[in-house]
Amino acid sequence: MKQKKVRFLVGSLLIVGAIGYLITMGISNTSQYFFTVDELLSQKISYAGAGLKVKGNVVNGSIQRDPNDYLDVKFLIEEKESSLKVTYQGVTPDMFADGREVVVEGTLGRDGVFHANTLLTSCPSKYEAEKEAGKMHPGSLSTDKYKEPGLKKTDALPKTTI
Amino acid sequence: MNDIGEFTLLIALATAIYGCVAYIMAARGNRIDLYLSADKTPLIVWGCVMISSICLWRAFLTNDFSLQYVWAYSNIELDTFYKFASFWGGQKGSLLFWTLLLTTYTVVVHFQNRKKNLRVVPYAMAVLLTIIIFFLCLVNFSTNPFERIPLPPEDGRGLNPLLQNYWMVIHPPTLYLGYVGFTVPFAFAVAALISKNLDDGWIRLTRKWTLISWFFLCMGNLFGASWAYVELGWGGYWAWDPVENAAFMPLLIATAFLHSVMIQEKKDMMKVWNMSLILLTFVMTIFGTFITRSGLIQSVHTFDEATLGYYFLAFLFVILFSCTALIISRLPLLKSKNQLDSFLSRESGFLFNNLLLLGIAFATFWGTIFPIISEAVRGIKITVGPPFYNQVNVPIGLALLALVGIGPVIAWRRATLSNLKKNFFRPLAVAFITAVALFPVIPLGSRVENYTYIAFILCAFVMTCILSEFYKGTASRMGLHDESMFGALTTVTWRNKRRYGGYIVHIGVVLIFAGIAGSQAYGTHVEKHLKPGEKFEIRGYSITYEKLVAIEATSVKTRVIAQLDVKRNGSHYWTARPEKEFYKGQNQPVSEVDVLSTWREDLYMILADFRDDESATIKVYVNPMVSWMWTGGWIIAFGTMISMWPDRLEQRRRLERFRREESLFPSPAQE
Repeated sequence: MKQKKVRFLVGSLLIVGAIGYLITMGISNTSQYFFTVDELLSQKISYAGAGLKVKGNVVNGSIQRDPNDYLDVKFLIEEKESSLKVTYQGVTPDMFADGREVVVEGTLGRDGVFHANTLLTSCPSKYEAEKEAGKMHPGSLSTDKYKEPGLKKTDALPKTTI
Repeated sequence: MNDIGEFTLLIALATAIYGCVAYIMAARGNRIDLYLSADKTPLIVWGCVMISSICLWRAFLTNDFSLQYVWAYSNIELDTFYKFASFWGGQKGSLLFWTLLLTTYTVVVHFQNRKKNLRVVPYAMAVLLTIIIFFLCLVNFSTNPFERIPLPPEDGRGLNPLLQNYWMVIHPPTLYLGYVGFTVPFAFAVAALISKNLDDGWIRLTRKWTLISWFFLCMGNLFGASWAYVELGWGGYWAWDPVENAAFMPLLIATAFLHSVMIQEKKDMMKVWNMSLILLTFVMTIFGTFITRSGLIQSVHTFDEATLGYYFLAFLFVILFSCTALIISRLPLLKSKNQLDSFLSRESGFLFNNLLLLGIAFATFWGTIFPIISEAVRGIKITVGPPFYNQVNVPIGLALLALVGIGPVIAWRRATLSNLKKNFFRPLAVAFITAVALFPVIPLGSRVENYTYIAFILCAFVMTCILSEFYKGTASRMGLHDESMFGALTTVTWRNKRRYGGYIVHIGVVLIFAGIAGSQAYGTHVEKHLKPGEKFEIRGYSITYEKLVAIEATSVKTRVIAQLDVKRNGSHYWTARPEKEFYKGQNQPVSEVDVLSTWREDLYMILADFRDDESATIKVYVNPMVSWMWTGGWIIAFGTMISMWPDRLEQRRRLERFRREESLFPSPAQE
């Protein structure tokens, strides 16, 4: 009776141990440091080369696209007066625009440029929240904030139906 | 009307508090008069919350923008369909919706049980009412959906375009039905602990509730995945986002619970374990809500108000501590009468299944809260992403998959060698053949590819195990009765709904595993910036970008559509029309993907961007076997239906049991 109990205990512990091992290895292999721009730049140790996740706001007018390769994007992100140059290859999310809060994942080069392989914009409901936090009373909506910037683009296109 | 809505919420709160106290006093003091009075409260509470909800729906449907909530989540132009769904589009409404579901469940429980188990039911009702009180306090004092705007604006802000998808009407209610449903078995477990009725009565009483909640939670997760797949336009269906994890963890623990209660019913073992599992399932649903509402962990789903999360956190700790204390104080009564016999037995299969499910749940939990912990301990926020979850959960998941095959086939108590040989020869042979057949065909080498190879072999193994169970049952019935094969199969399944329903669910699980493995390992994608007429190739598809058109679909919506011609083997295969939609009043466009789904693979097209010269950026994914997952989901739904279907035999057994109990504890109706 005792022996059986011990055997089950050992079996269960083996499974638990294996899972624990997987978790520990997983954390040490895949974790990324998460900073805001100002935190990253004020760090004493250099994080060049390490896997990083950085949060900041896109600096107005800083988004540049390579005229020959549309998918090559350069922009600046800032937080509390520190700013960081970011390069990114790929399709940008729908919500990527001046002033938006973004999170980039990638590595920091020795030249101080961040090479992002993932670009995330914060979610729309959060964006709504920021507007609300700006104490905009619904009675006093400024109309220009609610204009649709994207719609201008569509005017240039032929209007047909499929 | 809005005043009525606000007022009924207050009445509901007062009634719930009275009911809760009265139930407890009735149970403690054996006072039938109080019980009879408490007995009326669930219906009143439900009625009040229902009236209040109807008032909010009315406000949405009649464009009453004097309510801040309606203004924030609707506008005049919104489809009626979405106005209806805007109810749960934001924080305040979703909490009222939660309360509505919870009170509805409570009323159903009330009518099911009012004349039964007088020792347990009053406590269960009290627990349910306590949880209702918590939610009613929130909707009354913290997130009141009836909050007014002094000068009502002309029009509302509109519902976020990302939410304007038919899944918005289906996914959140399904998930909530699952989340909220686990309150019922939890309440009965606590009631059993308080009243010291610690046999498996509470499990039997709530078996259907557990199954239904599990079913909705499972469907809710799958619906969420398909919503993300068609709406978010990143070619995937699961991102290990904290909120996804929040819905996934209770599902895992509930699955463990569903399995381990069978041990308690059959063997009278694992009582403490089952109590802990149902407690943990419920706590996880609250934890999930905490994550979603607190904004503490970065996620794509975060709601706006931060403080609210801390009410949930406090509530969570109260539940956790009081229930743990309760379980500890009842430990002597929860002793098992039996013991595990052998490693090679179904019982130990269940035990290991539980450990693995909890392992996945824990890894997911740890990954989700790791940023908070690392910040607290080291002062630096360290995050983990999908690579972590994949690295940890895939091996555990594969071990679990193997158990799906082994568990139902291996003998109870102790499996002998001949028994093992008889049961596992065929499945192992099939697994071996699969391994040999796949070896030359599929790519191997990287970690993902190797795991996928193993996954396919295991799928074949498990499938054979399950099908041979069906075969055995059918064959023996055909031997005894003169029935056709189909007839025998149906009868066998119908006579043992619980067992064979479970097997059908397992078939669905195998398909989901296969779908995940295939789509994760063999998917590919390409991004191209193209001028009209240019073309490119992907996986044997030749894709030509033909033109770009803009349509003013409605007065608030403009659609920009790219048309692409897809050729396969030189002949026309599909015309893809991915688009971007621009909504009036919203700052960002919404991508609408176009997907051609076959059993082999999905061809998934996104119009990522376009410019004035009509050049466009197109992103194309080829995702193999994604449809297997959705098919697996429907099979799970079908299997769960079968195992939930009322069973006359079981009902008769239960009825007799209640008669026996009622003669001991006469119900108030008979007095």
